[in-house]
Amino acid sequence: MEKRVVFSGRWVPVLLLAPQVTITLVFFIWPASQALYQSVLLEDAFGLSRKFVWLDNFRILFADPLYLDSFGRTAFFSSVTAALSLGLALVLAVMADRVIKGTALYRTFLIWPYAVAPAVAGVLWFFMFNPSIGTLTYLLRFLGYQWNHYLNGTDAMALIILAASWKQVSYNFLFFLAGLQAIPRSLVEAAAIDGAGPFKRFRTIIFPLLSPTTFFLLVVNIVYAFFDTFGIVHAITSGGPAQATTILVYKVYSDGFIGLDLGGSAAQSVILMAVVIALTVFQFRYIERKVAY
Amino acid sequence: MAGLTFSGVRKTYPNGVRAVHGIDASVGDGELIVIVGPSGCGKSTLLRMVAGLEAISEGEIRIGERRVNELEPADRNIAMVFQNYALYPHMSVFDNMAYGLRNRRTPRNEIARRVAAAAKTLQLEDLLARRPGQLSGGQRQRVAMGRAIVREPDVFLFDEPLSNLDARLRVQMRLEIRRLQQSLGTTSLYVTHDQVEAMTLADRLIVMNGGVAEQIGRPLDVYRHPATAFVAGFIGSPAMNFLPATVAATGSGVIISGTGHTLTAAVTACEPQRPVLVGLRPEHLLPASEDSAALKVAVDLVEALGADTLAHGILPGDGAGPALTVRLEGSRRVDVGDTVPLTVSPDHVHLFDPGNGNRLV
Repeated sequence: MEKRVVFSGRWVPVLLLAPQVTITLVFFIWPASQALYQSVLLEDAFGLSRKFVWLDNFRILFADPLYLDSFGRTAFFSSVTAALSLGLALVLAVMADRVIKGTALYRTFLIWPYAVAPAVAGVLWFFMFNPSIGTLTYLLRFLGYQWNHYLNGTDAMALIILAASWKQVSYNFLFFLAGLQAIPRSLVEAAAIDGAGPFKRFRTIIFPLLSPTTFFLLVVNIVYAFFDTFGIVHAITSGGPAQATTILVYKVYSDGFIGLDLGGSAAQSVILMAVVIALTVFQFRYIERKVAY
Repeated sequence: MAGLTFSGVRKTYPNGVRAVHGIDASVGDGELIVIVGPSGCGKSTLLRMVAGLEAISEGEIRIGERRVNELEPADRNIAMVFQNYALYPHMSVFDNMAYGLRNRRTPRNEIARRVAAAAKTLQLEDLLARRPGQLSGGQRQRVAMGRAIVREPDVFLFDEPLSNLDARLRVQMRLEIRRLQQSLGTTSLYVTHDQVEAMTLADRLIVMNGGVAEQIGRPLDVYRHPATAFVAGFIGSPAMNFLPATVAATGSGVIISGTGHTLTAAVTACEPQRPVLVGLRPEHLLPASEDSAALKVAVDLVEALGADTLAHGILPGDGAGPALTVRLEGSRRVDVGDTVPLTVSPDHVHLFDPGNGNRLV
């Protein structure tokens, strides 16, 4: 089916495209090219002098153990966040799919967290787990665990993973639910007649049929954990303690705007840009071929 | 192998909708029973209750001697062919057929043997490695059949299995299903809304309407002696003509209302002047000479099908008169505007109560 509108003039199509192109230019192309340009410069903190240093910034980065640490930490954070939010969302979606009464209410509640801004979500979790006044900290103390994400790096990492996953569960839930509802009921019934119990039906029929959705969400979640979690980290831990939660996107900020290493920060954002482009290309190339059944 | 018994089976959905209002029937061992009826008559619900996909609200279903009301679908030893085939799209044809056997921990070589045998019967041998998405409609249908027969179940359930096929393939698959069922001798329940399918496949028919079994019987018995006006109109194509009439005072026949036509019929059991509904099958109306004609139809539409010609018209009288369809031989030439004189044997005049639709005598 071909839907092609033919415009008689030259201006109407240009005008229609203009808003999108303008937004892309101003908010992506321009900053991105600035970052590219700055990443090959060495600049003083006040912007009074700058020097062209070729790829020195990148060379320094990859020799810096702190940066490499942050890479590993980000990989850990992203994979655990993606796994947790995907797993949780899948469980919720499977249950929501079986709910008969009050479906709309149940779904609405599950979708709400997505509407919460990352920083607000961060503050929410910050208060719940606050070492001195947090309600959940209080409960944990009863269970014999002294929670303190100001001092304990593991606690801090656990907390941002929890907050980041919680926010993404809604999004994943929506897609999983839609995916589940697209599976013909008769397939599940046929499997039931074929002697597969509920768990086996899920493992051998439902989950494989959901795999395109799962793959799509996996990529989206990794991208989310890599780039969209700045607000959460900033609000809860500010990258601490002792850099324990300084993931790449936070490091770009702290090195650039706090450490005032503009060139190094720009080089980091160029690397992040490369990562997201690679993920996107990967998704577009494989989503319809590799996972299709 | 086992028979199937329904006693007082009812289905009421949680929202209060009553889909099936008490079915009593028994299916003999190896018999193929077709449940036929218009959409929404409860026929699929009945089938799904046998499969265990719908709970039985009241009554009892037995497969052989076992009461199956409380059994899971898996434990009923049935196999079902779905309207959309319900093949597992991510599995090969072989795996589709083997799935049920694997779930029952059948030994590997036994699975291979049974699948190979089913594939041979259904001419699927070359397709075992393919995915359902790479098959044509007829081939998918065969795989669905194969998946049912490898299980060697007590009962086959068919839920409108041919309705997604084109007309030619449907006729061919209909014959294949019948042949296969006869050679396997498996008790089968087959749901369809297509009365031709029902007539050709069935050992016995259950004609359903509004959640009730209107008639249960052999296809030709149902055709010859429909129990209700609904059954009479549903079975047979083109559909039976219905004409309002009253029993003649002389007690020798009926007078078609508003036209003055009189038909000879066996009305001894009816009191004179009683209003009745006369049912005449289009194929039982025979052309006659002008003076021996019982009915004269004014033709207003002709469908020439080759083998036969369907003439649609009205019985002239005061006002528009009742509509009538006649099936004539294909060689006979009829034009719009013609008046065709017709006669009908008294044996072929069906009488129904105009109130409840029940057959009179």
